[in-house]
Amino acid sequence: MKMRVRVPVGLLTLVLVSLVLPREPRAQAAAAPSETRTNPDQALAIVVNRSNPLDNLSFPELRKIFLGERNHWPNGHRIAIAMLDYGQPERKTVLRLIYRMDETGYQDFLLREMFRGDVFIAPKNLSSPTIVRKFVFNAPGAIGYIRSRDVDQSVKVIRIDGLLPEDKGYRLQVDEPLAGKGSE
Amino acid sequence: MLPGNQTVGRSLSRHVSLVLFVLVLMGEVGVALFVMRDLARSNATVEGMYRGSVQGLLRIGDMQYDAQETRRATLYALTTNDGNLQVAYADQSRDADRGVTEGIVQFLEDAHTADETEAGQQLEHDWSNYLKVRDEVLGLILEGSPKEAIHLDLNLGVSEFERVRRDLDKVKRSYDEQASQQLATVATLSRASMTRLTVALVLGLCLGTVAIWAIQKSRLRSAMHLAQLQMDFVASVSHELRTPLTAILTAAENIRDGLAQSRERLFEQGSVITHQAAQLMETVDQVLQFSAASERKSPHPLRELRVDEVVDDALRSTQRLLNETGVLVETKVEPDLPRIIADLAVLSLCVQNLIANAVKYGGAKRWIGISASMNGERNEILISVRDHGIGIHDSDLKRIFEPFYRSPDVIGAKIQGTGLGLSIAKRSAEVFGGDLTVSTKVGTGSVFTLHLPVAQPARQKAPNAENAMGGARA
Repeated sequence: MKMRVRVPVGLLTLVLVSLVLPREPRAQAAAAPSETRTNPDQALAIVVNRSNPLDNLSFPELRKIFLGERNHWPNGHRIAIAMLDYGQPERKTVLRLIYRMDETGYQDFLLREMFRGDVFIAPKNLSSPTIVRKFVFNAPGAIGYIRSRDVDQSVKVIRIDGLLPEDKGYRLQVDEPLAGKGSE
Repeated sequence: MLPGNQTVGRSLSRHVSLVLFVLVLMGEVGVALFVMRDLARSNATVEGMYRGSVQGLLRIGDMQYDAQETRRATLYALTTNDGNLQVAYADQSRDADRGVTEGIVQFLEDAHTADETEAGQQLEHDWSNYLKVRDEVLGLILEGSPKEAIHLDLNLGVSEFERVRRDLDKVKRSYDEQASQQLATVATLSRASMTRLTVALVLGLCLGTVAIWAIQKSRLRSAMHLAQLQMDFVASVSHELRTPLTAILTAAENIRDGLAQSRERLFEQGSVITHQAAQLMETVDQVLQFSAASERKSPHPLRELRVDEVVDDALRSTQRLLNETGVLVETKVEPDLPRIIADLAVLSLCVQNLIANAVKYGGAKRWIGISASMNGERNEILISVRDHGIGIHDSDLKRIFEPFYRSPDVIGAKIQGTGLGLSIAKRSAEVFGGDLTVSTKVGTGSVFTLHLPVAQPARQKAPNAENAMGGARA
């Protein structure tokens, strides 16, 4: 009999604990560094134009940029965000880790912010990592994301919290593995 | 025989035609060299023009197109909000600007003059400035600031691009000028070549006409000379035939008319007839011999002969002539001489001709020396017939072996003959791979020598005349 009582109590405790814990720490826990998350195919690099003087951004600063709370770089250039098209795993990862929204929430957020005038220019939706790379190369104020393996000399990778994509503990990791050899 | 001045004229005509031919040839070659040089120069100029001006103009055309494309693609990026299209237009613009940049580098590498270098550097500078503006415009477009992009393009882009356009026009003009100059050079060279060619053709035509005229004249003279020789021959042979025929006719009439009734008289007239008939036969034989020798081949198969056999046969055949003329013959044939390959009849006739010649022109001394010896150095047998007669003048020496030729001295001395003997002898010797030579001194005498090759073991096996002759000549 004792055993029959203990099991439901344990389960109830676990459910209660999960409900009581705040959402953000849980998300952070999901993005916490792991010994197994150093695969360059899955690490998501934040790239900017090579003329951009910035080398490092904290994760909160990165969020501010993507959420449109910050519109200009220190050198005065307007920030232009390059997003990959709908449904791509990198976009899902960015929405989940940086925006902390799903696609619908993101669309609502964008409409709301533009309606209120807080965001003047919507992020550009681009079809492939190559286009993102070219966009960032051509626009001095651009910022975008591509998998670490798609990075080349035409763009500059920004450290996030002092970490590069290949470093252990880098937080932006794509959940879905790469489908083919290339990402284009 | 032709008079001396005709001979000189014929020789001169031959020389003139040869000289004219050489002159025409040299003239044509000289002009051809000039024309070839002009053509090579024109070719080089045209090639240079193609490499420089024409290709330069084509390159400038491409650069103008690429410059327009650079600007056009940039402006197209303004017409859309689609980021993908904007990036595609930016790519197009950059691809096009790469073409212009490479063209400028190429132009600067090919620049020959200071003006060209200056124009190229100016273009490079202005293009670089325009590209900076273009990059900024593209950046603004992609960053979502089209108004600012348009403003920047209108304020700076248009003026910078206008400078580039002017620079390209300037470069194009310089290429145009180069092309015009080079075309003028080519035209000048072409005119010079045409003039030279025309002059060469006219000269060649004139000189060629003169040469043909001279050659035809020479041939005409040769034909006339040959006709004269033939007429002389006919006259000579007619005389040679007529003399014995007249004697025979006279003797026959004497017998018919009963003037010779006694046995002695009849014998005498009969002797005249046989002697003259023999002479007639000899003349006819000589003409036939000449005809055979002209074909330069022996009528019978060749065989190995002993030299003494040939000399003996010739002496036997001429014994009657020698007896009648009372000529003393000294014969000296070296013992154990190697054999020769020949036709006995023909070679004997050849020696007989030399003996008859020596009798005819041997003078009053009535002496003939016949010798046969070996010339080890050239591996040949020498058969010589020597006389102490009148000798031969240097002027006649070159021509004594020509058929029908008779020296003016001989004609003057009324010595009968056809002018064929020596010609027959020489041709007969040549049939056997040998030769006939003469050494002479006027007033002292002459030595005619037959050179006959010694029979070789291989040649001894030669089955017919053709093989033997071929081996001997080789």
